[in-house]
Amino acid sequence: MPRPAPKKSRRNPLLPFYVILGVVAAGGAFMLFRQMGGGGAAAATTLQPVVMTPEQLQRVPGISKGQPAAPVVFMEFADFQCPACGQFARFSEPLIQDYIDNGTVRFVWYDYPLVEIHANAMLAARAGRCANEQNQFWPYHDYVFGQQGQWSEKSNPVNDFVDYAQQAGLDRDAFAQCLRSTRFQKEVSESRELGSTLGVSGTPTLFVNGKRVQDTPATRADWEQIIREETRGAAPAAGTAPAATPPAAPAVAPADSAAG
Amino acid sequence: MDAALDGTRDEPTGAEELEASPPLSRMAIALLALAGLLISSYLTMYKVGLLGAIQCSIGSCEKVQTSRWSYFLGLPVSAWGLGAYVTILTLAMLGVQPRFARERWVALALFGLSAVGVAFSAYLTYLEAFVIHAWCQWCVISAILITLIFLLSLPGLRQAR
Repeated sequence: MPRPAPKKSRRNPLLPFYVILGVVAAGGAFMLFRQMGGGGAAAATTLQPVVMTPEQLQRVPGISKGQPAAPVVFMEFADFQCPACGQFARFSEPLIQDYIDNGTVRFVWYDYPLVEIHANAMLAARAGRCANEQNQFWPYHDYVFGQQGQWSEKSNPVNDFVDYAQQAGLDRDAFAQCLRSTRFQKEVSESRELGSTLGVSGTPTLFVNGKRVQDTPATRADWEQIIREETRGAAPAAGTAPAATPPAAPAVAPADSAAG
Repeated sequence: MDAALDGTRDEPTGAEELEASPPLSRMAIALLALAGLLISSYLTMYKVGLLGAIQCSIGSCEKVQTSRWSYFLGLPVSAWGLGAYVTILTLAMLGVQPRFARERWVALALFGLSAVGVAFSAYLTYLEAFVIHAWCQWCVISAILITLIFLLSLPGLRQAR
């Protein structure tokens, strides 16, 4: 029997190998690309309706900034110790600050401490609430996220938080007293519970007027698109005071512990 | 197979043998290095901020990835891993070609690089276990991959001319 044609045997042995390698590479690249949050042509930001009853939102107080009657209400479920939340606070949130200032957007913070993986998340969340007691949540929020790398891995950063409070212009003693007690443990836990009820599993998770934002907006254009879509149908009349409870789920105004 | 059945056939030369059956260990190294490349790309993308959150069903990747040991000589550890896997993949792809399969430097480079990789991964795994007290599933998978690559680089050393 003659030998098999050498041409054929020269090409074949490596071909399956290249095919497998190519398939793995393409599959991996595709998955990496998907993880990037739809960069490129894919829709950057999509919304998913969720069931959000007014009762749920009235029961658990968030911490908000912006006009109470703003037509667009963002709810953020976040964890002070989560790096992605830090990025969000430093880079994404400032992109809509002028919409908050001009009364279009109200931004509401809900604690979702990932206590399973972040040892200081609960303490940080309570610290935020202690700052809120002095109506200084947002400056404190910015400060704590700014220093995230400093306190995240410490075994007990109470003193750091107290220092930050002082540096952010809060009453140091009142803040320290609050933080060293167990105050706001219940509120933080309820907030996390609310998040779980709404299907939050990671942070930061964002809702706009009761709809879940699938991919965190990264650019000004993404934010503007959402805000434009939400303001299109809703005339100023859609804005609701926190106390008034509208009948339907969307456009519900979350309860609010801080004076707007 | 053919050669074994066909008794009249001459003993194949080295080159022919390699063409008929390229070294399996090198192919395996290439595939493992590709997997490592994807994992380290993922972690590097996280470090440079291209991903929002990190997918981590086991352990606490963020704790490890945000710890101060996630940088080495000014670069993210994952970027070093990416570089190493790209180099290993390139070497392994060369190493399956009949022209280079028996080259001593290919075998030595694969052996040396993966040995350094194993040592570095052992150090990182030690940090996860005893210093950071948290596990990052991707880092553990990468440590397993580089260990397998190291083991698979050994047959090439013996066959190298």
